[in-house]
Amino acid sequence: MTEQLVRIENLKKYFPVRTGVLSRTTGFIKAVDDISFSVNKGETYGLVGESGSGKSTTGRVILQLQQPTSGKVFFRDREISTLNSRQLHAMRKEMQIVFQDPYSALNPRMTVGEAIAEGLAAHRLAAGRGLQEMAISVMESCGLSAYHYSRYPHEFSGGQRQRIVIARALSLQPSFVVADEPVSALDVSIQAQIINLLKNLQEKYHLTYLFISHDLGVVRHVSDNVGVMYLGTLVEEAPKKEFYAHPLHPYSKALLSAVPTTDPLAKKQRIALKGQIPNPAAPPPGCRFHTRCPHVMTVCRDTVPLLRTVAPGHSVACHLV
Amino acid sequence: MKTAVSSGTDRYREMRRVFRQLRRNRLSMLGLLIISFFLLCAILAPLLAPYDPVIPNFAYALRQPSPQHLLGTDELGRDLLSRMLFGARTSLGIGFISVIIGAAAGVPLGALSGYYGGKLDLFLQRGIDVLIAFPGILLAIIVVSIMGVGLENAMIAIGVASIPVYTRLTRGSVLALKEMEYITAAKALGLSDARIIIRHILPNCLSPLIVQSTFQVATAILWAAGLGFLGLGAQPPSPEWGAMLSRGRVFMRTYPFLTTIPGLAIFLVVLGFNLFGDGLRDSLDPRARKY
Repeated sequence: MTEQLVRIENLKKYFPVRTGVLSRTTGFIKAVDDISFSVNKGETYGLVGESGSGKSTTGRVILQLQQPTSGKVFFRDREISTLNSRQLHAMRKEMQIVFQDPYSALNPRMTVGEAIAEGLAAHRLAAGRGLQEMAISVMESCGLSAYHYSRYPHEFSGGQRQRIVIARALSLQPSFVVADEPVSALDVSIQAQIINLLKNLQEKYHLTYLFISHDLGVVRHVSDNVGVMYLGTLVEEAPKKEFYAHPLHPYSKALLSAVPTTDPLAKKQRIALKGQIPNPAAPPPGCRFHTRCPHVMTVCRDTVPLLRTVAPGHSVACHLV
Repeated sequence: MKTAVSSGTDRYREMRRVFRQLRRNRLSMLGLLIISFFLLCAILAPLLAPYDPVIPNFAYALRQPSPQHLLGTDELGRDLLSRMLFGARTSLGIGFISVIIGAAAGVPLGALSGYYGGKLDLFLQRGIDVLIAFPGILLAIIVVSIMGVGLENAMIAIGVASIPVYTRLTRGSVLALKEMEYITAAKALGLSDARIIIRHILPNCLSPLIVQSTFQVATAILWAAGLGFLGLGAQPPSPEWGAMLSRGRVFMRTYPFLTTIPGLAIFLVVLGFNLFGDGLRDSLDPRARKY
């Protein structure tokens, strides 16, 4: 029986749009609009979608780096969106984040060692000599060397920096890590190293990942379950094998058709989506995808499709299914 | 593997790196030399000055430079060299102290305002808007007239008048920095706001602040001269470069050294601080260091 580690229920995050001299709120950017899913312990949940679909916001709201507009976030069956600051501080140790851009994720004026040791000191996990030893042991488990301790971030390449970012996240021995596009900014050859590092660390420390990405190829490699987001909503969710074998939502199909294959002779039909992702301040009525859907029907224009379970663990929000 | 043992030695090593880098920078060493020269003049003024800087001697009024009076005398017959040496005490004091006051008040205000935003920011920034609407010298005059005339009050006034500049500068940098992902990471690690501001935000605001401070030393000396001219700063007969500059103006055509010498001194001090400040900024930035 798989155990849930993180569960979100009806999560919403609206950003107010302020205009004019009095900065009155004239509307909302609905970055995340009523999504629910859960991440099983020791597994990886791949959250995919194009830019602006609300994946990163979801990750940050789960970590309480941003307050949800409404909805609940549970960690080990405990609601964490209502914790006071002391309880939240203790909770921070359990959940960490790895960023997309390793260049802006490290303070240029702080040595690698200081950056990694800082969290340990903040949670009083070590002090003095022990602090440095712990930091170095984390660095080594992430493929860095002890002599990197007193170097500055600008002396490292992108891939090495990402190792530092991962080491910093793991220094507190969290059980849950949000990996927010951790390899999107890296060269393909480095991507594989970082992905393998993340997988090895997951095995070694029994980590649970929320893996946010727009690269379905990478997600296929790392995930156990996959969720597809479009314009702030979850349109399809399924176990990895099921998802890659039988995608049901037209948006999922379009995304999958865009994944390059290694077989140049494979016959593939590319489904090219027209246009841009609509403005999240004024999402289209009905199904949010109807403006770009190749199979659009009349019902799609005014009725919002609900997420329905079609197979064990596989749910989809589409009128076609 | 030998590495630093504790964070204490880390900081010590970092300081040594900064100094080593600073020593290699020839221009900043020149700046330091200039500053030290004037500091020495100020400290050793009683020993170095050949005459009393204050007591007039009308028999020797307005003499050109000569072996007796290396820089000549002013309209009251006072030895200009002696006045310059004692003036260094006043003018450097004004420069240092007002910069320290301005930065000590302005930087934390700007950091808090930028970091927390919201109502606090709105409130503070409207206050700063009001202060910025006045020219700095006028603001200094207001403060002096509230607190009373005198050199110490002039220093404080100039310091207070430079608060808005520091606040705006710091707030601007903080607004840009707080969007960086390493700030989000620091929050996710559970660091306190105080630590995030002190260890992550302020060190990255340093470059513009150092440059601003070196300019502010010069501005402060000139404002002090303005205050002195209006009778609100250093009181005559006590020597102060700015006041000497403005009094010598009357004799500019016939005795130009009365203005050029104090002017040159102010220029050199400002140059010294600028050169040193530039070097300091570069050596504090790990990215700009050369190995």
